[in-house]
Amino acid sequence: MRKMAKTLGMAMLIFVLLLTGCSNSSSGEAEGKTVLKFLHKWPQPEYAPYFEEVVKEFEAQNPDIKIDMEAIADEPIKDKLRVILGGNEVPDIMFSWSGEFARKFVRAGAALDLTPYLEEDTAWKDSFIPASLQPFSSDDKNYGIPLRFNGKFFVYNKEIFDKYNLQAPQTWDEFMNVLETLKQGGETPIILGNESPWAAIHYLTGLNQKMVAQDVRMNDYNPRSGEFTDPGYVKAMEMFAELNQKGYLMDNVNSSSHDMAKQYFFTGEGGIMYVELEEFQNVEDSLSANWGFFQMPAISEGKGNQNYITGAPDGFIVSSKTEHPEEAIKFLKFLTSKENAIKLAEQIGWPSPIDGATNPDTALQQVVEGVDTMKQAEGMAEWLDTDVHAKVADVYLANIQLLLDGSKSPEEIIKEVQAVAKEVQSEVE
Amino acid sequence: MKNYRSSRTALLYILPALLIVVCMVFLPIVLNLYNSFFRWNSFGTEKVFVGFEYYIRLFKDPVFYTALKNNGLYAIISLIFQVGLGIIIAAILEDKLIRKFQPFFRTVFFIPSVISIAVVGLLWQLLYNPEVGLVNGTLEAIGLSEWTHSWLGDSKTAIYAVVAVSQWQYTGYITMLFLIAMQKIPDEFYEAAMIDGASRIKSFFHITLPQIKEMILVGSVITVIGAFKVFDEVYVMTSGGPGRSTEVLGTMLYRSAFRNDEMGYASTIGTVIFVITLTLSLIQMKIGKTGKEV
Repeated sequence: MRKMAKTLGMAMLIFVLLLTGCSNSSSGEAEGKTVLKFLHKWPQPEYAPYFEEVVKEFEAQNPDIKIDMEAIADEPIKDKLRVILGGNEVPDIMFSWSGEFARKFVRAGAALDLTPYLEEDTAWKDSFIPASLQPFSSDDKNYGIPLRFNGKFFVYNKEIFDKYNLQAPQTWDEFMNVLETLKQGGETPIILGNESPWAAIHYLTGLNQKMVAQDVRMNDYNPRSGEFTDPGYVKAMEMFAELNQKGYLMDNVNSSSHDMAKQYFFTGEGGIMYVELEEFQNVEDSLSANWGFFQMPAISEGKGNQNYITGAPDGFIVSSKTEHPEEAIKFLKFLTSKENAIKLAEQIGWPSPIDGATNPDTALQQVVEGVDTMKQAEGMAEWLDTDVHAKVADVYLANIQLLLDGSKSPEEIIKEVQAVAKEVQSEVE
Repeated sequence: MKNYRSSRTALLYILPALLIVVCMVFLPIVLNLYNSFFRWNSFGTEKVFVGFEYYIRLFKDPVFYTALKNNGLYAIISLIFQVGLGIIIAAILEDKLIRKFQPFFRTVFFIPSVISIAVVGLLWQLLYNPEVGLVNGTLEAIGLSEWTHSWLGDSKTAIYAVVAVSQWQYTGYITMLFLIAMQKIPDEFYEAAMIDGASRIKSFFHITLPQIKEMILVGSVITVIGAFKVFDEVYVMTSGGPGRSTEVLGTMLYRSAFRNDEMGYASTIGTVIFVITLTLSLIQMKIGKTGKEV
């Protein structure tokens, strides 16, 4: 009998050891220090050192706080955020896109309301360009702090443009003429890599905004009321498909990645490419001053405001479950201080949402001009794939590839969008 | 008495493993079924009971049928190439004339199956690239320029391009299983057949095939179930695109869970995958009338 008890005890012990081994969790405090978990999306060697330096400096200035930093790349972080928010190990500060992507966390009560902290320190609040804070707000409350201000512009190869005596177009008709001239000359007018369909969705972001009246579009982009019945949505897709039908896009758009397409453009192939402001430094590194940029041209028959810019800030949200909100805010303030914003512009060439941080002394001339253009714009059209409900975005993303390979028409696609928007309406309380 | 005690002690030793299997395998299956009746997302707190709504929706969802069709294609093509071609390659390698080169070919054929799928996916993405890829390059070099194609970028060919990669990767692995089985066949069988004047082809059909029956069953169970569980290579190469043309059940599940925040719907798809793979393996065991040597 004793032997029996012994084996039973042994078995229990092994089991308990296994269980505790699996559920090993780290506590929030280490050596009396407050530990802040910080998750961002820039593990790349050209960006990561900036964050390491900033964290190191912050820790030096605040010896009682330790920052536990983790970086996960762009695509995987979309999944990671959803998974960790369901568990217990939620980072105190985490990366988020603005718009619907952040609002989803707000609706689920996962994001901390930052309004009181911003109201308390108006100097901090006023240091941001207003257009960069707005996309992070929901019901007039701020839920996010922007780190980077991003806009989408067409960059063009000056050498090719000069060869055909072309100017940066102001209107959509001029744009089409430029493309036609390039095509006639045997050049590839537009370089686009749409293997990950967000690339084409960025075109549609601007076209939707320009074709559909602002209030109608905002109503449709809201998951509670989206219908997508305005004819402007179909027209927007038709205009984009036309670029392809007329042969203005490069061959095999759906099988080249954005990065690969960028490499073609950098080697001097192709006249125009649609890139983000943060990529300007890349362009400059490869085409050294031999390039210019222009915003998406105005469309005369469009019902939307033509003085909008496609783009959005991205930045950080604070977990509503954090035990150290004061420290988290302290870190965010440090991260967005003018000093660090200037460093961000200088070191990695990103446009900063901090007013005045992106200036001719700190940044590339074109980036400064880009930020100025964005400041003058009357509003921002946020990325379609992060501004509408995830399910609507999913339908748009999948179908834009089929629009390009000709197997679906704009009418068919909008019908699917309408159906899913209706479904979403009934699910979002 | 002694016997009784030792079996009870044996049970005790099994207990931890049993508990782990129950916790890690059976409990999740049951939980998954339970979760499929609720509308919930991973970060929200509320769970809304929806009953069979997701099952009804799934059977109305056109993407589900695309996925089923693609998984089916995967299974059929994999059976033809991995099992069918695998047996033929194994038989050729076992042939007396080639046997001394066998170690070389064995290694060459086996290498793809040990490379990580992410690497294989990226490698083939490059090979398939219409501008710089080797596939189109080769076609042009041998004068078949009109066959060049945007393999992964065209919704009509993408699924075949993805399935082909799996064949390249795993045919060698299955071939290896057949080789092992064939090496267990006593040489006397072949000698006897030779004395009786049987050709090589004839002895292949009358000796080799019946002798490796068990392994053929194992091989086809592995490939067919693998074909319904496939996820990584599709995700790496096309993520289900262009459009939904390469969507398989695995990517559909992933998309629902981590892109569309519909954990309940994803659980529903998970349950369906479970039912499909379970049914298939039961059928195959029934056909093989065995499971003994497996």
